[in-house]
Amino acid sequence: MIEIKHLYKSYDKKPVLKDVNLTVRRGSVMGLLGPNGAGKTTLISILTGIINKDSGSVTVDGLNLDRELRTIQSKCSYVPQSFAFYPRLTARENLEYFGALWGLRGRKLKERMDFCIDIGSMQSFVDKRAEKFSGGMKRRLNLAIGLLHDPEIVYLDEPTVGVDTQSRGYILATIKKINRERRATMIYTSHYMDEIEQVADDIAVMNEGTIIVHDDTQAILSRAGATCGPGNLEELFLKLTGTRLRDEE
Amino acid sequence: MIKLLHILKKEFLLIIRDIHAVAVLFIMPAVFIMIMSLAMRDLFELHGTVAIDVLAVNQDAGKKADAFLKSLEELSTFRFRFIEKNTDMENIREQMLSRDYKFALIIRENFSAFVDKKGKGKDERPLELLVNPTVNVQTQMVLKSALDGKLTKLRWDAFIDRIDRLLAVAGIDKKKLKADEESPIQVNYIHKGGRYDKIPSAVQQSVPAWLVFSMFFIIIPISNTFISERGQGTLMRLKSMNVSRAYLIFGKMVPYFIINAIQVIIMIAIGMYVVPFCGGTALTLGESLGGLVLIAAAVSFCAISMALFIASAARTTEQATTIGGVLNIIFGALGGLMIPKFVMPGVMQDIADISPMSWGLEGFLDIFLRNGGISDVLSKSLALFVFGFMMLTLTTILLWKQKEV
Repeated sequence: MIEIKHLYKSYDKKPVLKDVNLTVRRGSVMGLLGPNGAGKTTLISILTGIINKDSGSVTVDGLNLDRELRTIQSKCSYVPQSFAFYPRLTARENLEYFGALWGLRGRKLKERMDFCIDIGSMQSFVDKRAEKFSGGMKRRLNLAIGLLHDPEIVYLDEPTVGVDTQSRGYILATIKKINRERRATMIYTSHYMDEIEQVADDIAVMNEGTIIVHDDTQAILSRAGATCGPGNLEELFLKLTGTRLRDEE
Repeated sequence: MIKLLHILKKEFLLIIRDIHAVAVLFIMPAVFIMIMSLAMRDLFELHGTVAIDVLAVNQDAGKKADAFLKSLEELSTFRFRFIEKNTDMENIREQMLSRDYKFALIIRENFSAFVDKKGKGKDERPLELLVNPTVNVQTQMVLKSALDGKLTKLRWDAFIDRIDRLLAVAGIDKKKLKADEESPIQVNYIHKGGRYDKIPSAVQQSVPAWLVFSMFFIIIPISNTFISERGQGTLMRLKSMNVSRAYLIFGKMVPYFIINAIQVIIMIAIGMYVVPFCGGTALTLGESLGGLVLIAAAVSFCAISMALFIASAARTTEQATTIGGVLNIIFGALGGLMIPKFVMPGVMQDIADISPMSWGLEGFLDIFLRNGGISDVLSKSLALFVFGFMMLTLTTILLWKQKEV
């Protein structure tokens, strides 16, 4: 379980996270929604130890983020929105490199690589350089790298941006499969409401650095239906966060 | 350790698959060394050990001509190639042009008569020098003075021989009156910051100059990988994996250190074996392998640290390669890599000392040219290491401020 209490973070005195409180159930998929600049990536960056928080507390399965960051990091995996691998390396070389950095060796490394090649359906292009991959192939490799060390918690930052419908469906199915079979806890950010509806057990909506809604998916869908018509999560989202453009913030 | 090996393997794969980086790091300096060593050979040859070939025809059958020829062998700057004495002028001209000789010396048949001041043609000019018009006036003057000197000595000795009896009567030892074998003038080359006993040959200048230059061009692959790692979020992913900053920086430095070492070996090999094969002189290494390793390591450390700093400060690869490239060219031009320091005016020689490339070049010249050892390159190496540490410290501060590593 991930527990976030009174989390604050600011850049150059400009607050980015303001009193964030959130609980993510163990083994669940948490859909994190929010417009650009809402603080989703900052929140994930703090949870993964990439940046430091200003104040507040975070515990992951009872481990304190301040004191036991290394242990927490060894249980977690971060799949960034960008293609965080080396385009000039093949998929296999990328998997081998990141697997080795996770401390995997020998047969264990090979087993995990085979698993990831399989789960990313990469058998036909695993020995080709990543720079020649399509958007969907790159997304699958990006996700596969994040699953190499069999993490207990996976942070997925918009993992389906820029892919075709087939790859998107495959990635979502993979995420559900990993969640179901490995009981991995997942925090999933996306701008696609239908994706969140498909994969998330719980939904949290962030706006301007705070969590404005947090509930299980069914409850939120019911609320959306009651407020904006049946199943209209997007309308509810706009109602909650407003229609103001955030791109230039 | 295994993590580090995988980091090294990854960096090597990235470098060898970056065709532009390979071209800049290996092909560019190799081509520069070849071009500059051969093209600048004539400019440097009067300073160095390179001999200028002179076509020579001896039309005189006398002993004095033989003595003159023997004395010409002492001229290390010129190498005389003799052809058949009956070769006519047309043939000499043809051979000069076809074989790229700069000079042809004709020892006319009256040479011995002229030296002994007796016989047919004793008052006519005994030597004729044909000069290729591409030869500069200074080089002509050097050969002409050398020939004048040898001829004057021969004439003086012949005169002493002629007054042999007179000297004997006067009780004078004729050996003491003979011309000196060696020039009484000692030549030393002076430049800012010390004295050169030798001036480099074209290859001795070109190899270290373009080697140092290319080692600093490590900025291209470093910025390519470093900035794309940052831009693509790979650094963030690595940080989330608890890969330490030291690993990342060390993992960047070691492979490029090895790449620099390979550059040193290849460029030296080109200077030693390929340049002479193409008609230039061979590079000589000096005697201090320790000194060579020390200065090469110092240049490499400085170049990599500077590249890491620029890659950290720049936002895009284009920015890094432009800033790095321009800085390298400025440092190279200032530091005596493009124009040898010893031909610069004093003020420019002072300015050259601010360039780390100049410290590296002088270090290599200490080893290759002045037969220096570790103690001779120690101060330059220390300066390069200190500069490198400063760059590395700034890089760490910058990365910490950017919160990206």
